[in-house]
Amino acid sequence: MDEDFRPDAALGLEGVPHTGESITEEGILVEPQAGDFEHAEQAPSNPVWYKGAVFYEVLVRAFTDSNSDGTGDLRGLASRLDYLEWLGVDCLWLPPFYASPLRDGGYDISDFRAVLPEFGTVEDFVYLLDEAHKRDIRVITDLVLNHTSDAHPWFQQSRTDPDGPYGDYYVWSDDDSRYADARIIFVDTETSNWTYDPVRGQFYWHRFFSHQPDLNYENPDVQEAMLDVLRFWLDLGIDGFRLDAVPYLFELEGTNCENLPRTHEFLKRCRKVVDDEYPGRVLLAEANQWPSDVVEYFGDPAPGGDECHMAFHFPLMPRIFMAVRRESRFPISEILAQTPKIPHNCQWGIFLRNHDELTLEMVSDEERDYMYAEYAKDPRMKANIGIRRRLAPLLENDRNQLELFTALLLSLPGSPVLYYGDEIGMGDNIWLGDRDAVRTPMQWTPDRNAGFSRCDPGRIYLPVIMDPVYGYQAINVEAQRDSASSLLSWTRRMIEVRKQHYAFAEGEFIELGGSNPSVLAFKRQWTRPDGLTDVVLCVNNLSRFPQPVELDLSANEGCTPMELTGGVLFPDIGELPYLLTLPGHGFYWFHLLDESAKAR
Amino acid sequence: MNAAPELIDALVAELPEWLPTQRWFAGKDRPVTAVDAVSTTVLLEGDPLLLHLIVEVRQDDRGEPYQLLIGSRAHLPEYLGSSWIGTEKGLPCYEASGDADLTGRLLDLIAEDAQVGPLRFAQEAKAPVQGGLRARPVAAEQSNTSLVFGQQYILKLFRKLAPGENPDLKLHRALQEVGSEHIAPVLGSITGELHGEPTTLGMLQKFVTDAVEGWAMATTSVRDLMADPELPPDLLGGDFAGESNRLGQAVATVHNDLRRALGDQTADLAEFDRAVGAMHARLDRVAGEVPELTGYAPALHEAFEEIREADGPVPVQYIHGDLHLGQVLRTVTGWLLIDFEGEPAAPVSERSALRSPLRDVAGMLRSFDYAAHQMLIGQPEDPLLTERALEWSRRNREAFCDGYAKAAAADIGDPRSHALLLRAFELDKAVYEVAYEHANRPEWLGVPLASIARISSGGE
Repeated sequence: MDEDFRPDAALGLEGVPHTGESITEEGILVEPQAGDFEHAEQAPSNPVWYKGAVFYEVLVRAFTDSNSDGTGDLRGLASRLDYLEWLGVDCLWLPPFYASPLRDGGYDISDFRAVLPEFGTVEDFVYLLDEAHKRDIRVITDLVLNHTSDAHPWFQQSRTDPDGPYGDYYVWSDDDSRYADARIIFVDTETSNWTYDPVRGQFYWHRFFSHQPDLNYENPDVQEAMLDVLRFWLDLGIDGFRLDAVPYLFELEGTNCENLPRTHEFLKRCRKVVDDEYPGRVLLAEANQWPSDVVEYFGDPAPGGDECHMAFHFPLMPRIFMAVRRESRFPISEILAQTPKIPHNCQWGIFLRNHDELTLEMVSDEERDYMYAEYAKDPRMKANIGIRRRLAPLLENDRNQLELFTALLLSLPGSPVLYYGDEIGMGDNIWLGDRDAVRTPMQWTPDRNAGFSRCDPGRIYLPVIMDPVYGYQAINVEAQRDSASSLLSWTRRMIEVRKQHYAFAEGEFIELGGSNPSVLAFKRQWTRPDGLTDVVLCVNNLSRFPQPVELDLSANEGCTPMELTGGVLFPDIGELPYLLTLPGHGFYWFHLLDESAKAR
Repeated sequence: MNAAPELIDALVAELPEWLPTQRWFAGKDRPVTAVDAVSTTVLLEGDPLLLHLIVEVRQDDRGEPYQLLIGSRAHLPEYLGSSWIGTEKGLPCYEASGDADLTGRLLDLIAEDAQVGPLRFAQEAKAPVQGGLRARPVAAEQSNTSLVFGQQYILKLFRKLAPGENPDLKLHRALQEVGSEHIAPVLGSITGELHGEPTTLGMLQKFVTDAVEGWAMATTSVRDLMADPELPPDLLGGDFAGESNRLGQAVATVHNDLRRALGDQTADLAEFDRAVGAMHARLDRVAGEVPELTGYAPALHEAFEEIREADGPVPVQYIHGDLHLGQVLRTVTGWLLIDFEGEPAAPVSERSALRSPLRDVAGMLRSFDYAAHQMLIGQPEDPLLTERALEWSRRNREAFCDGYAKAAAADIGDPRSHALLLRAFELDKAVYEVAYEHANRPEWLGVPLASIARISSGGE
């Protein structure tokens, strides 16, 4: 081995604790330990907090810059917690903030135990956690189990010392012919799942970019090392992980190498660590698969699930868009009818938009062409298999549709995940590369840099949105916070209403059908701990035109519907179909008051 | 069981005046001269009382049997006021299908496999029915009366009766037998006796709560199209072509299922003559009543004659017989076909004959045309919107045929490859529509007439 070779050379972490700052005589990389840092206080205990939580995805880079270097950071984010508490957010989801060469938005992690220097330090993260917990806000972050950056000291050791302790940490092969049935995910950039490494003289396996070698989970040391990564952050006080790209951990010849049994076995191990050592923290699976496959990631239903507590429901989101464009409830009804029941301690995560493109992996070719035609009229709006746009521009900034979509997000089964900026109707910049269109700075004020940073505007990591419709002078938190009629105030109010009715969180989803295809009506029915039943009725007009609907509510005969935003009582439900009329893209939320509810 | 004969006599005497006010009564063209009770059965004794009646309705030389449900109770609640027929012996009698206190009895009897007098209530094999549910009648029904029980079952009561097994029940049973996925399952039936023959009175099916009529789906799309006159139909948010395509596949699949269940034949020359003759005859009859049609008659006669030149043998089989967008339901699992009764106005012999499946295709194509144009009715003429309607119709008709071709039997294949037959069937259907609109909705007459003008002049 070259005497001058340093496995941590590519990290850029001189002066802060990091993996590989020294090496033991046995060739083991020294890694930072949780005990080296302060630990955050925990948020108040609630083992199923995630079932009713409103999540908020925020990019550390994009939220607030505390040190005027043009890039958002952990201290900046911490300074905005009062705003997030006011909005009603229960849990922040942070995409990766680990050390990374940033060739894949930070998902190319080069050190699992260090923070990207421009975001701050591990101490800053503990500070953020502490401050968040004081406000009863939890924090989860992405953890990429499947692969590392090729700059990770593990990979550097693996390629230079095949016989050393890390020689078997990655999937190496003398040729590129194995696992031929595995699809290539990033079809735009990659031609093979194998790349030749001239240093080691072998091919390495990667399901994503070629600079992200897959970890070799057949190696027990890798499994232990990754469980220790979980423990590191859980010890510091983090509330859970969104496990990125979970279906791909193991490989097996003759399969597509997705959702393999051994992958589930490892997730059960992760869950056991959480249950035994860190109860109350969550694992959220990112598995862009059909619901019938995704439910596997909740694990065994008998104990209430023994793998991930939550999983994203990917196919629902494009279908919400499709249903509104079609003015037909069927795209939504169909996917929910195909969604199996989940174990009782589990919950879906649902979203309208996130930091990735609006992904169309989980729709048919016909539907994908349709979505492109509808929502990506300019070819620049497309990325990979998806559409890179924010919610407001996708909906042509139509306030009625923004409200309808948000109401659906807050009322369909699952915990809603908001994407930063969508609560004020931020725009995108399709002229920025890759997925940066939807990752521009949060717009706080009409002042310089939208109040995001006090740096020289030229230094900012991405230009703030400046067009006349979505620019920060028109769209910003400060202006909307003071206006009771703003999208922000409206969104906050709806979150508040949602939290007043736990039926939205855990209620059984009962679709009501009806003869009008443009109206999606459903009940959320929840049996309270005292045995009484709470029923919320949601009626959504997916059409731009006013619509009548007759609903069969005979199961709730005698109840009085109370509209939830204003408390107005509607006529009692009788034996005959219940007639409602809705304005274009209008919706209603009702609490169905029975005798016991009226008495309360 | 027998109700008091005097009550029934008095009630029946009220019917000649009452029957023509009922939507499902098919003999509105002539006065009712007399009504005779053929059978009376008490289904529920006491107050309220539920009475089942089959009556023979006489109109001059014509006599036709109808099925009635009569309720009687001392105090008629307000919501039943509009169902009142007459007060006999101090007891108000009323049409009972809207009385949820009574109609639940029908389901209970099916669940019990009961025999009451001449009426046999039965569950289908392997389909246990749960009783104890209240019913509400389905609004907006034309020729029959349907009751929905607790969002679980729908019971169709046939109003105008014909001796024997109703084709609706017969075809549903046959389709169920071969496991068709495009029907609502049959769960039970009610059978009576007419002219000594067991006769279908009712059919119980699973109620599909999420179903939406194809007509409502299609007109939603048309509404979207008319609101955006700039965009071509394929770029519209509300584009319906995907649904039309799947609907075409469903119809072809049902045709295949019917063939598998009940067999098929090849039309012989005599049948061909009969079919062509029937088309000519209908045309002559309607052209005599509707002057606007007269000018097209020669071209239509010619189109009908031309099918004799159609290539190769024409397969015939059981078909739906009255297929249009109101007879198909979109559910979360796909399209269902309902109401296999055939054209309600057609005689039973014709309804149960084997016919070319292209007739159903033609019916659906005509329905797309109707859906496209329905928003233009009663509006000032607008060439742009008319062109939009045609574009929508073309696109969805093509998509339907594409879908049909995908699933069709080999000897039928793409319906458009039988251009002469398909055109003749469409024209025949349009002639029927002309007669119907002339009699019922004169402002709609332009829809079939414009299609006849277009098709007979060589357009599609």
